[in-house]
Amino acid sequence: MEPAKHILGTFDEALRALRNSVLMMSGLSEQNLTNAMQGVLRRDDELCALAIADDEEVDQLEKQIDRDGVELLLRYQPVASDLRRVVSTIKLNSNLERIADQAVSIGRRGRKLNRHPALAEAQLLEPMQQLAMSMFRESVDAYVREDVELARGLKGRDKVLDEMNSNVGRELTEKMARDPEQLRGYLNLMFIARCLERVGDHATNIAEDAVYAAAAEDIRHQPHVASEPERNAGA
Amino acid sequence: MVTTMPEAPSHQPDAPASSSPAPEKDPESIAIENLDFAYGDHRVLHGIDLDIAPRSVTALIGPSGCGKTTLLRCINRMNDLIDGARITRGAIRLGGMDINTPEVDVVDLRRRVGMVFQKSNPFPKSIYDNIAYGLRVAGVTKRGAINEAVEKSLRAAALWDETKDRLEKSALSLSGGQQQRLCIARALAVQPHVILMDEPCSALDPIATARIEELIQQLKRDYTIVIVTHNMQQAGRCSDQTAFFYLGRLIEYATTAKIFSNPSQRQTEDYITGRFG
Repeated sequence: MEPAKHILGTFDEALRALRNSVLMMSGLSEQNLTNAMQGVLRRDDELCALAIADDEEVDQLEKQIDRDGVELLLRYQPVASDLRRVVSTIKLNSNLERIADQAVSIGRRGRKLNRHPALAEAQLLEPMQQLAMSMFRESVDAYVREDVELARGLKGRDKVLDEMNSNVGRELTEKMARDPEQLRGYLNLMFIARCLERVGDHATNIAEDAVYAAAAEDIRHQPHVASEPERNAGA
Repeated sequence: MVTTMPEAPSHQPDAPASSSPAPEKDPESIAIENLDFAYGDHRVLHGIDLDIAPRSVTALIGPSGCGKTTLLRCINRMNDLIDGARITRGAIRLGGMDINTPEVDVVDLRRRVGMVFQKSNPFPKSIYDNIAYGLRVAGVTKRGAINEAVEKSLRAAALWDETKDRLEKSALSLSGGQQQRLCIARALAVQPHVILMDEPCSALDPIATARIEELIQQLKRDYTIVIVTHNMQQAGRCSDQTAFFYLGRLIEYATTAKIFSNPSQRQTEDYITGRFG
């Protein structure tokens, strides 16, 4: 149920503005990540450079959101669900900025890869990219819609992403042993896989904050318990 | 005459913040049981059940007219002074004793349950006499005992250092915050079990308010404190338990941390977040 409006309209306005800024930042971070990965997979230096350059905007927005959040705490001294929303928004902000940082790292690795002949193994990253991006989108979606179940489910998917990263790492290590000439290229791919794995971690953090905001429950550092649909899917 | 007291209260907030568990028949415990209260035909409290933990601070919050001050005044029978005001059902037990039975001496009850009001109300007497007054009424005549009690009370109210050199000066010469602390000292002099506070800081500046709040934290080690406040931040800072009232009903009673982070009831949430109305 949609919460009623505050008697103090400026409080609602400040909360709305904070949320809109975060959504804008989420959109930018997602775009940067997409650009960076497309830059790697399509061997497009311009997209890689764009992901790196646009990080500046995300950084500025991060500072703006932190300022706005602190000012909101100062002026309105929110409590209960309002307090949880503001605190989780500030934390979400930090995770979004780090996701954009991962995009920068991927973009840099991409530019290095693009200087050399294409490696077919770059395709190993695609399933990881798809999972990381979908986790990212859904974590923000869970935060926006205060969807606790969606948020909880992301913890389990992070395990899958971790496993994919391990498998990619193993496969690339084997390739390195067989073809040491491509060692640098394979290492760059491993770093990119690691970045995507980190995106999953940030998405999980966002999901945990979404649960805290919506249900006042702290699910950090708890083992993931599979939900009924997850158990059925696994069976 | 206080007689044998029944068991300690059973209905308590989610997780009482009191550091020590209440022993049975604790003289500082307050149990409000299914209480209805009316002014004439107008019922203002409906079936209030509330166990107030001894030696802790309980805040009563809610919009104006919700009955919190009426309930506070029930605890030392201040409402007896209002024509037509009466408890129509239920009981209030202090240390297990029903305070509304005929054998209860109201003067003695009000000694045991002190009260501090919104506006400080020192007597137009010296600082010393304000504290000594209650003792003299209680029959204490020895100068040494009174001196000792005056110093002890003023120290307990964090007012001794500011007044020890001018005890003979008029209480009305003190600042608003000092007058309020003097009223607290006056209540402490007669060794109460409970101190009721009805918006004690609403007329004070932030510094005087902070001093009273600090004092409340010290006093709760020895006294049960019930405070009515409209200041949500104050309730959050000062109290261990918070009870939210609306239209004469107790909507939610829980630890203050729970109420201000994740209240169970929608009405509580709407009120404390400023969505009411």
